[in-house]
Amino acid sequence: MPAGADPVQPPGDLVKAAASGDEAAWKGLVERFSGLIWSVTRAYRLGAADAADVFQTTWLRLAEYIGRLDHPEYVGAWLATTARRESLRASRASARVVPTDDDAVFDARQADAGKPGEATPEEAVLMSERADQLGRAFRALPAPCQKLLRLLMATPAPSYAEVAAALGRPVGSIGPTRARCLRRLREKLAWGKAG
Amino acid sequence: MHDEPDDTGLDETGLDEAGLDEAGLDEAGLDEAGLDEAGLDDTGLEEELRALAARLEPVPDRLMQAAVDAYAWRTVDADLAELVFDSLADRDELAPVRGRQQERLLSFQASGLAIEVEVTAAGSSRRLIGQLVPPQQAVVEIRHADKVVTLTTDEFGRFAAGSLPAGPVSLRCGAGAGEARSAVVTDWVPI
Repeated sequence: MPAGADPVQPPGDLVKAAASGDEAAWKGLVERFSGLIWSVTRAYRLGAADAADVFQTTWLRLAEYIGRLDHPEYVGAWLATTARRESLRASRASARVVPTDDDAVFDARQADAGKPGEATPEEAVLMSERADQLGRAFRALPAPCQKLLRLLMATPAPSYAEVAAALGRPVGSIGPTRARCLRRLREKLAWGKAG
Repeated sequence: MHDEPDDTGLDETGLDEAGLDEAGLDEAGLDEAGLDEAGLDDTGLEEELRALAARLEPVPDRLMQAAVDAYAWRTVDADLAELVFDSLADRDELAPVRGRQQERLLSFQASGLAIEVEVTAAGSSRRLIGQLVPPQQAVVEIRHADKVVTLTTDEFGRFAAGSLPAGPVSLRCGAGAGEARSAVVTDWVPI
């Protein structure tokens, strides 16, 4: 089977193939984990330039370490850890510059209005109302919940091990915190409707 | 792509914890809007958030391309010099300075070779001054996003380069004379 052809090919196999020169396997890794790394930069609320630096640095690091990983099967957690460390470094560095507007993070108002896809105008309005409610409820959550949920929102869905690595927290804490944060999000959504 | 057995179990737990099973709903006597809202299980709500994030904050195309292109920088014939000190991350609290320090110090360590670098920022332009330890003459490549700047150190192992754009950088130091040591590449660091 050609590398990268199978969407659920184990990451460890992709790492080993990429380490021996298989460019398609590298692309497979990029497709599988770019969403996760990008979500780490969003969860840590980096500005556009810092987010781009962290994202690129993380992939460049992997290119250099691809043949040196002790556990190729955990490459997702390795990438998440690298992105977390680089995000923290960038946060410290950009204490020097103007911070980004917090509300600009995951803000429905930023939605590309001309991009409702195949939805009819009526559906688009409903979609955007719901997006607006979700966005407001999300931003009303405590910062740690926003951070966790923003990581879980990566496409494709990350594993709990990857989310834990991105937060620097134990894997066992992710499930219970997720349930609590989603419950609070539901509460905010309900209040938003009532009010 | 929730394909891990964990997730199914956790979804059920989440439902129970939130008390959103059907019996609970009936007892609570929620109105229809409430029912509709609570009818979403954790996975459904998370999927909705994921779709929203994918729509509002997708990975920029140019970054996807940069990630693909990163593979071309892979080296197979060099020792790795890890970043062991970064004044930005490791020293700010220990040695507070008045005003804003302009220079950033980076140290990379491989077996048998250290590379010390001082980075000066001016706007979006960066200047590097570096030294190989122990001092030695060598060819140093400054690898920078989409280009390479090649320099030769002086007899004290010193090198300098100006007008580099901000962004990730890595240094590659050619093999020592008489193959006393192999080539060395440093970790990538955004400057």
